[in-house]
Amino acid sequence: MNRLHPLSAAVYALQYGFVWLWIPVFLLVVLSGIFDPVRAAWMPIFAVIGFALGIAYGVAYYYRFGYRVTEDTFDVASGVFARRSREIPYGRIQNVDIRQGVVQRLIGLAIVSIETAGGGDTEASLNFVSEAEATRLQNEIRRRTAGARDRRRGRTGTSTSAVSDDGTDLIGPRRPSEMRDDGTNLIGPRRPPEMRDDATADPDLESLGPGTGAGESVTDWETHADTFAEPRQKRLFDLNSRELLLYSFTSFRPAAVAAVLFVFFLATDTILEFFLAMAQPVGGPADLETGTTGSYGVLTIVSLINGIVITYLLSVAYTFATYYDFRLGRVGEDFVYERGLLQRYSGSIPSEKVQSVTVTDNPAQRLIGYAGLWVETAGYGPDSSGGSQSAVPLARRDRVYGFTENLTDVETPAFRSPPTLARRRYLVRYGLVGAAIVAIAFAITQVTVLERWYLAAVVFAAVPVAAHLRYVHLEYYVGDEHLVVRRGFWRRRTTVIPYYRIQTVSTRRSIFQRRLGLASLVVDTASSQSFFWTAPTIYDVYLEDGRDVHRTSRKRLQSALRERADADDSGLSVDFT
Amino acid sequence: MESLHPRIRLLWIGQGVITAAVFGVVLAAVDRWLLEVPTTALAAVVGLVFVLGAAYAIRLYQVWQFELQPDALYLERGVITFVETAVPFVRVQHVDTQFGPIERALGLSSVVVYTAGSRNADVRIPGLPPTRARELQDTLRELAVESEADDAV
Repeated sequence: MNRLHPLSAAVYALQYGFVWLWIPVFLLVVLSGIFDPVRAAWMPIFAVIGFALGIAYGVAYYYRFGYRVTEDTFDVASGVFARRSREIPYGRIQNVDIRQGVVQRLIGLAIVSIETAGGGDTEASLNFVSEAEATRLQNEIRRRTAGARDRRRGRTGTSTSAVSDDGTDLIGPRRPSEMRDDGTNLIGPRRPPEMRDDATADPDLESLGPGTGAGESVTDWETHADTFAEPRQKRLFDLNSRELLLYSFTSFRPAAVAAVLFVFFLATDTILEFFLAMAQPVGGPADLETGTTGSYGVLTIVSLINGIVITYLLSVAYTFATYYDFRLGRVGEDFVYERGLLQRYSGSIPSEKVQSVTVTDNPAQRLIGYAGLWVETAGYGPDSSGGSQSAVPLARRDRVYGFTENLTDVETPAFRSPPTLARRRYLVRYGLVGAAIVAIAFAITQVTVLERWYLAAVVFAAVPVAAHLRYVHLEYYVGDEHLVVRRGFWRRRTTVIPYYRIQTVSTRRSIFQRRLGLASLVVDTASSQSFFWTAPTIYDVYLEDGRDVHRTSRKRLQSALRERADADDSGLSVDFT
Repeated sequence: MESLHPRIRLLWIGQGVITAAVFGVVLAAVDRWLLEVPTTALAAVVGLVFVLGAAYAIRLYQVWQFELQPDALYLERGVITFVETAVPFVRVQHVDTQFGPIERALGLSSVVVYTAGSRNADVRIPGLPPTRARELQDTLRELAVESEADDAV
């Protein structure tokens, strides 16, 4: 069993020390109130004892924590008193992520997380190991996962990959300097299985991980290049500074709102003073108690603008820091990516684990002709937005469409739209929302000094626009091997789902839809459940069309399965002849 | 298409009774602490909720149907939103039979089919006689094993 980095012993010791310090303090406070002989004055002694015990526990935790890379599984054993040992088969691993905070980067440590499908938690988390060890583990696990895949194929056949070999040309060489000869080695001969083991203990493995800046096509196997041709990393996409800035300024993170609200609750007084000071030059009140309706109005508007600007800037900074120096590469059949200014992330996604691919854009990005590309797996991503990971944060739209077509093999979609009857539904729906807003305005005028509630009726002007915008961004395409679903105006998502990945298909009709003869089709793929995530849905098509897509999806799922089975059979015969 | 056991209506009507009772208690609390609610209005609301609940239960029983098709388990259900779901046998992860205390008292049990999907990840067929539930579980398990493909997760 391998141990974590020795420094983690110190971190655990301090963590548990400070937590356990509070246990005797708390107990003494409670007990001294109940029993006379117990004195609160004992507190310093017991606090020190608690701290010492915590340190002992932390150190023991370090010594009792072990992990191991075995032939078939990744093993983790942990627990001081209650032991848990866990074995994760390589074939089940969805992705392997490396995370480094600022402090950890300074002292050269990293956290490795291993995700499998299912379970609401990271299956194995190693904090901390050294950078070199983290990269070694990531590569090692990736190689073993590929090995497990090869063995499975060797047994059952070939070409079960979700991504065809064309996928290696995902983006192609971008700059002459990157036109290396390694493209041809991508699917080169793998090392025979019996040679795998001695290399695992190889101490002088070059790292290509975060911090070293060595992502430039360095591989572990250069020293062994003469014995076997292991796939090298091929660079697929680098987020250049122009794209990074565009991405930061055109995207908005809801987390920024939460952060601003949190700070506001922490320092309400200071912030209110700041807002007052900002509003005074343009006619705000001198303080919160004395003011006229007009000056309060000015204060509200100025504060609102301030709040929006601050939130937006925070979101820009957050996006910038998160996606700084983003790179996507490909090693064998796995995608690997790195990103982050202060906190570095590095992850690997096996391409056969990709469930669906989504192109996203918001109105600002559509205006400048850019879009982003996300891939969905069934594990949890570092963004904790389900298993969705950014493969290309932002690039020119045609380029992103090109990536998508290469990645999934989907033909250029000829989109179909729902009937215009659907637009009528949204008109009614948003009309009701408008009515609700007017009703709220009316209620406000009843309890405050404000009058003229009918001015709120101006929201009705937005209703037809909103209904139309929602309608025009709803599209779908039934391809030969993929279903393409587009929906959403603010964050438009165009999802490409291979029929092979479909889990369930549902046709839904609410009472309103039934009246109009419409239906929505929900196409579910395997993924982590999350609050914000909704299964790809084709909204409001005619029932007949919906049923048609439903039938087609089921039929093509079955034929895709048969094709794969046939491919496996032929693979077998090749193996035995 | 196969329907559920008629006795499931009793269970669902029972749920309607509970909902009606909750409404009654909430209104009584409002009457006690906030503002006066006439007893007739209280009775009317409770009665209305009960009638709606019972009607919902009966309608739900009428629309609930399922069928084992050649490639998938197919279900139709829903009063407000009518949902037709197909669960391909290849995608079945595991199958449970479950019954709660009330279901047991009524001599019913449920079959729950799990997939790796996020939405509708568990598909529940309620209100089956225990023998039928077990039989369905066995059939589904066999069909799932038979059609097992290279794992898609």
